[in-house]
Amino acid sequence: MTWTIVVGVKQVPDAKEVGIDPDTGRLDRANAPAVMNPPDRDALEAALSIKDVVDARVVAITMGPPMATPVLEEAVAMGCDDAVLITDRAFAGSDTWPTSLTLASAADTLGADVVVCGEETTDSSTGQVPPGIAAHNGWAQLTYVEDLEPRLDEERLVAVRDVEGGYERVAAELPVVVAVAYGEFDPRPAGLHRKLYAENDFEPIEWTAADLGIEDEVGLGVSPTSVGGMETVDPVDRRGEVVEDVDELANCLQEVIA
Amino acid sequence: MSASDVANEANDTNDADGGIDLETYADVWVFVEVHDGDVMAVSWELLEEGKKLTAKTGEDLVALVIGEDLDDVAREALERGADRVLVADDPVFEPYRADPYGAQFRAMVEERKPSIVLIGGTHTGRDFAGRVAVPTHAGLTADVTEIDVDDNGLLQARRPAFGGDILATILCKEHRPQMATVRPGVFEPGEPDLDGDWAVADKAVTAVDVVVDESETISEVLERNVGDTADITEADRIVAVGAGIEGNLEPAIDLAEAIGAELAASRAAVDEGWVDGSRQVGQTGKTVRPELYVALGISGAIQHVEGMNKSGTVIAINTDPNAPIFEHADYGIVGDFADVCPRLAETLRERDLTEVMP
Ligand SMILES: Cc1cc2nc3c(=O)[nH]c(=O)nc-3n(C[C@H](O)[C@H](O)[C@H](O)COP(=O)(O)OP(=O)(O)OC[C@H]3O[C@@H](n4cnc5c(N)ncnc54)[C@H](O)[C@@H]3O)c2cc1C
Repeated sequence: MTWTIVVGVKQVPDAKEVGIDPDTGRLDRANAPAVMNPPDRDALEAALSIKDVVDARVVAITMGPPMATPVLEEAVAMGCDDAVLITDRAFAGSDTWPTSLTLASAADTLGADVVVCGEETTDSSTGQVPPGIAAHNGWAQLTYVEDLEPRLDEERLVAVRDVEGGYERVAAELPVVVAVAYGEFDPRPAGLHRKLYAENDFEPIEWTAADLGIEDEVGLGVSPTSVGGMETVDPVDRRGEVVEDVDELANCLQEVIA
Repeated sequence: MSASDVANEANDTNDADGGIDLETYADVWVFVEVHDGDVMAVSWELLEEGKKLTAKTGEDLVALVIGEDLDDVAREALERGADRVLVADDPVFEPYRADPYGAQFRAMVEERKPSIVLIGGTHTGRDFAGRVAVPTHAGLTADVTEIDVDDNGLLQARRPAFGGDILATILCKEHRPQMATVRPGVFEPGEPDLDGDWAVADKAVTAVDVVVDESETISEVLERNVGDTADITEADRIVAVGAGIEGNLEPAIDLAEAIGAELAASRAAVDEGWVDGSRQVGQTGKTVRPELYVALGISGAIQHVEGMNKSGTVIAINTDPNAPIFEHADYGIVGDFADVCPRLAETLRERDLTEVMP
């Protein structure tokens, strides 16, 4: 049996490149370059590591605007066999409910045995999309995954999960949605030939909401949550004093604890 | 069943377009997370916070307990202020798995229609919350740090966005329940009232029907290895280590002992396995509020700073003078922690601070 492994990736503003707006003194995200959500690199590595041991086809998917295509090219360069761009104005305003529905439909359409996602995204950081995909499809799920062991003969995927105070090993029936713990999978570099192919010759498959038959179930209208307001948070005022020697530092500590 | 079939099923019962009757939903539920008899601290933090919500809405505060052998936990929930306790007690729930928890919690929500559901933002809470919110088409706000309710019972769930720069208020106007996972350590737990007449109040404990059968589960826990979990959220003093310590914990422990501090860590240090995850500070760890926070070899990434921002005084020790942590510290020193820590500990010991130590 060949496993179909679907990897969810997302384009986010590069947190490292976020500048400080000189006028307001606040972080300026709008002008940050777009990059792949860093935890998704771990997801790609995890997916490709399954393919290292079982016969598998790995497909990267992203839901986003056409300009998100570079993250799919990166995924293909790393070793994904194919990639799907799910793009449609109908998705505008989607919260995690329709977002996970969309990815769930795409995974189902692709005949996924395993869906791998990053732990969370650096821009919205809900961590709710992977369990949402599993819930929409009624599939098993494994989150905070640090290690994977595919068991082809049992048609199960075994994972080491991080839990409070330790770890556990859990076996899940296929199809299963996996969210990997950030920092636990060391992403492999893309080979030069794959890179050239991905950038020059590769075209992702494009799907709209109608292609997935969910055009009435996505977007702002079906999103249960909405943003009621945004307040900027003033950074905590710290003294920012750098002292020269340990004696002085001891004085500062003593001030607090004495 | 395909994805859209499941979704349609959810839509049929509870959809914005079809319109649900918001009036039929009442009460504030707090999920009490239990593993092998131990209650996660965040559960009692949420119960205390839930009291403030029901004081405004006039509804019941309901504790929800899922697991095995839960009598003591149910009683403690009453002692800590729950008006009622719903208990799903069955071996199928121990140890925790997403699919049985999700199915059981969903069934309870559909039958009893709570207005607000609060769940600790632990790995467990964040794992199964979606398995309830998706099929019931509930609004789920993740990783909330402030909660309130308006005069109409509309939950105001606030969460940091854009790396903590902004606090976004998330509303769920047309769907119920209004669910939120809440970050551990943000709220204070209350004191249990041990003098209450709990024999009478035992009537407030309801054993609910268990809808999950082991034969229907789709996952299996093969092994579980869990030691003691630390509660760094209660600590008055914290020495936190980062990737910069490169596994050399000794100087940090020495300093922590000299000042009577708990050990904590950045995510990078936890990922390396030097320190247990229950001691992680930050966006995906805990929020701490000690009077003193000493950061050793921690760069000061926004996800880390978010968890330590409530500290009184922050002290940073880092070899890189340009490390962002210095901007988030009151006092800092540029230097190698392995060199600074022992000298600092010794200096403080010489000054004999031991008398003032708790
Ligand atoms: C989705 C997501 C969630 C996250 N959640 C969290 C979270 O909850 N908590 C968290 O902490 N991080 C979190 N992170 C990770 C965060 O972005 C940083 O990667 C992490 O905090 C870095 O840890 P660090 O400062 O220990 O390591 P580094 O960034 O590697 O910094 C090490 C520091 O040590 C200094 N150093 C090196 N040698 C020495 C020495 N001998 N003596 C003194 N100093 C030395 C260096 O100058 C450097 O500043 C998250 C990231 C993502 C993407």
